[in-house]
Amino acid sequence: MSVLKKSKKNNKRIIVWKLLSYCFFKYLREHLSVISGPVTVMDSAPSKQYSDDVSLVMVLLDTNPFFWGGENTTTKVSFSNFLNHVISFLNSVLLLNQLNQVVVIATGYNSCDYIFDSSTSESLNVSSGNGKMPALCSKMLQKLEEFVIRDEQLSKENSPSGIVSSLLSGSLSLALCYIQKVSRSGRLHPNPRILCLQGSPDGPEQYVAVMNAIFSAQRSMVPIDSCIVGVQHSAFLQQASYITGGVYLKPPQLDGLFQYLSTVFATDLHSRSFLQLPKPVGVDFRASCFCHKSTIDMGYICSVCLSIFCKQHKKCSTCGSVFGQANPEVKLPTDRKRKTIDLNAAYN
Amino acid sequence: MPQVKIIAKNFMDMVAALPALKLDKLYDNTFICEAVLRSLPPLAKKYVLQLLYIDEPVTAKSMEDWVLTDGVSKHRVAIDRLIQLRVFLEITDRKKETSYRLNPKFQGNLQHYIAHGGVLPRESMSSSITVRLPTAEELDSYALEQWESFLLQLISSSQPEKTTSFSSSMMKIFQQGLLSLRDKEAPKLTESGFQFLLMDTNAQLWYIIREYIINSEVRGVDSADLISFLLELSFHVTGQAYNASTLNEIQRSAINDLAELGLIKLQQGRKDNWFIPTKLATNLSVSLSDSSSRKQGFVVVETNFRLYAYSTSKLHCEILRLFARVEYQLPNLIVGAITKESLYTAFENGITSEQIISFLQQNAHPRVCDRAAPSVPENVTDQIRLWESDLNRVEVTPANFYDEFPSKDVFEGACDYARDNGGLLWEDSKRMRLVVKAEIHTLMRDYLHRQK
Repeated sequence: MSVLKKSKKNNKRIIVWKLLSYCFFKYLREHLSVISGPVTVMDSAPSKQYSDDVSLVMVLLDTNPFFWGGENTTTKVSFSNFLNHVISFLNSVLLLNQLNQVVVIATGYNSCDYIFDSSTSESLNVSSGNGKMPALCSKMLQKLEEFVIRDEQLSKENSPSGIVSSLLSGSLSLALCYIQKVSRSGRLHPNPRILCLQGSPDGPEQYVAVMNAIFSAQRSMVPIDSCIVGVQHSAFLQQASYITGGVYLKPPQLDGLFQYLSTVFATDLHSRSFLQLPKPVGVDFRASCFCHKSTIDMGYICSVCLSIFCKQHKKCSTCGSVFGQANPEVKLPTDRKRKTIDLNAAYN
Repeated sequence: MPQVKIIAKNFMDMVAALPALKLDKLYDNTFICEAVLRSLPPLAKKYVLQLLYIDEPVTAKSMEDWVLTDGVSKHRVAIDRLIQLRVFLEITDRKKETSYRLNPKFQGNLQHYIAHGGVLPRESMSSSITVRLPTAEELDSYALEQWESFLLQLISSSQPEKTTSFSSSMMKIFQQGLLSLRDKEAPKLTESGFQFLLMDTNAQLWYIIREYIINSEVRGVDSADLISFLLELSFHVTGQAYNASTLNEIQRSAINDLAELGLIKLQQGRKDNWFIPTKLATNLSVSLSDSSSRKQGFVVVETNFRLYAYSTSKLHCEILRLFARVEYQLPNLIVGAITKESLYTAFENGITSEQIISFLQQNAHPRVCDRAAPSVPENVTDQIRLWESDLNRVEVTPANFYDEFPSKDVFEGACDYARDNGGLLWEDSKRMRLVVKAEIHTLMRDYLHRQK
């Protein structure tokens, strides 16, 4: 670890501070072993929310074709099977309270879009055309199909190489925007939460965007639940659920996915304080470097703007500060500790 | 202060009170299952969902493991409610272990819902047949108007403006308990009548609907049928037209009454009749705690005890008159003042200060609510409470008086005994006299007998 010389560009420092403070937060957690508990979301509910268990569930559906259709045959569940479980889950959320609202966002490879919103009148009033399929289903599947085709057209130019992740950062931002819109418009609004149904592996290149989304979710007190249907754990979502106070779960058996969804993720925020829910086993706090977008265990950090790099640079690419040479005996441990506490206070 | 409370909890208490056979019959109807589920406490809903695809009974012990220690009381409430409504069936096996399973009918209906999604009770009519449907605003104002005119008629039967389809006997039933009806005397609102007026619309509606259902047996209508129709009605889409010919005999007679209350609007076309549910109807199965149906507030209270109510409603004016002096009325504004005299008449009529304050707070104008300050100024709320406590200076406690103790020791022993039991009100050690709360009189007597 190199200790970097501080530049005196204070203005810049303030500007980038907000954006990048999380890096330092993470950095502190990892390197100085500062452990701070997850932020509780339930502390104080804004007065403009329904008192009871009325929920707005934003479901982020992973529709990455490279995950569902590709060589990834290790997953035991097919996409149509997966959809069956999810639609049943959506129905059950709508069943629990007539004021409950469900919004589904498809997370594709190149794009993401809203594909279902239970609050719009068309999704409720239109009776099914063929009589075989319920209205919710047919409407959503139609939108989903359109979305997948559009998503595919976008990807024609550049064929995938390496990790094929879905655009989680985009759909998280869409979900948060929707929640903001709802909470700013009406007088009363349901308690929002986000549920990520993620299969594809994390894309390290989305690190900054995803972390920004996570921290803005934390600010607006929106818990992010994650249900992993893929093979690997997702470090992004582990952190997301940990930071926002949501539930992270990787069901060991996917054929009973509905039972997991209804038992764990259908729980409204009000009841969560009374129920035993899966606890995080371990959270992968590793960060991605800003220069090569790869996940790193150890790295260099700009002391001005807290950008993370995997190699030592002469100049910070984010804020432009010029770094000096490493000097291993500059800081004393006591000094570090004090700073840690201050930063935590400033952060919270 | 007499504490007369009108119990207008909700539909489900009424459903829960039905005998098991009738209740099981009700669960044949998907909408009732749905409405019952939605009325449950959050934790209970969760349990139902969790057990929906489990056909085996689940032991009570393993269910207790689902909750944290904080939630034990909530857990009990949830389980009790589920058993009360026969959603959970209790099974006790040979080892005397209790286990629960879902009511099979209920389970089947909900499983169907989960797989197929919500369906509407009946198809709405296409817009080509119905002429012009009222807009959402028109429908809301219609519902409100109907409801208010019904309330006005209810509280001042002496000056009917509009005759309703309710027979006078039905009206009498509604008025029972709200008005004191004495011969040769103008009907006067009773205490519970005042309290009724200060409740919010949903609670009032419940009260009326409850009376309506209870008295349905007299009219030869099965209460279970009526309950299931009303619950079904709450699943219709507000503002859509539904053909009246799909209704059966009982339901057709009921919709006329419901139209009077503003629950539905009836319209007539060239060939068909149809009914349009309003917001009041679709909110029927909503539990009372939900404030979703709360109306926009209209009252501004100033620190100088003046009251401005932005309302055109006659009913609001009548309600304000219960506890405030109305000074003048403009087309859209009622100006009044809260005075000591006006409050005293309110207190005499059995309205409590808390009711008045909560009415003012609940109906506070949105501009006032948005401010950081309390919606009703603190000096006003304090003064209202003070004036009320002025009336209750003397507190009456039933008590017993003891004297002529044989010796000082016995007297002091008795004093200590009374004090230990928390019942000593007054003592006079010089003349050896003592006043003790009536509740512990028997204890005192036993004690004194033992002393002899």
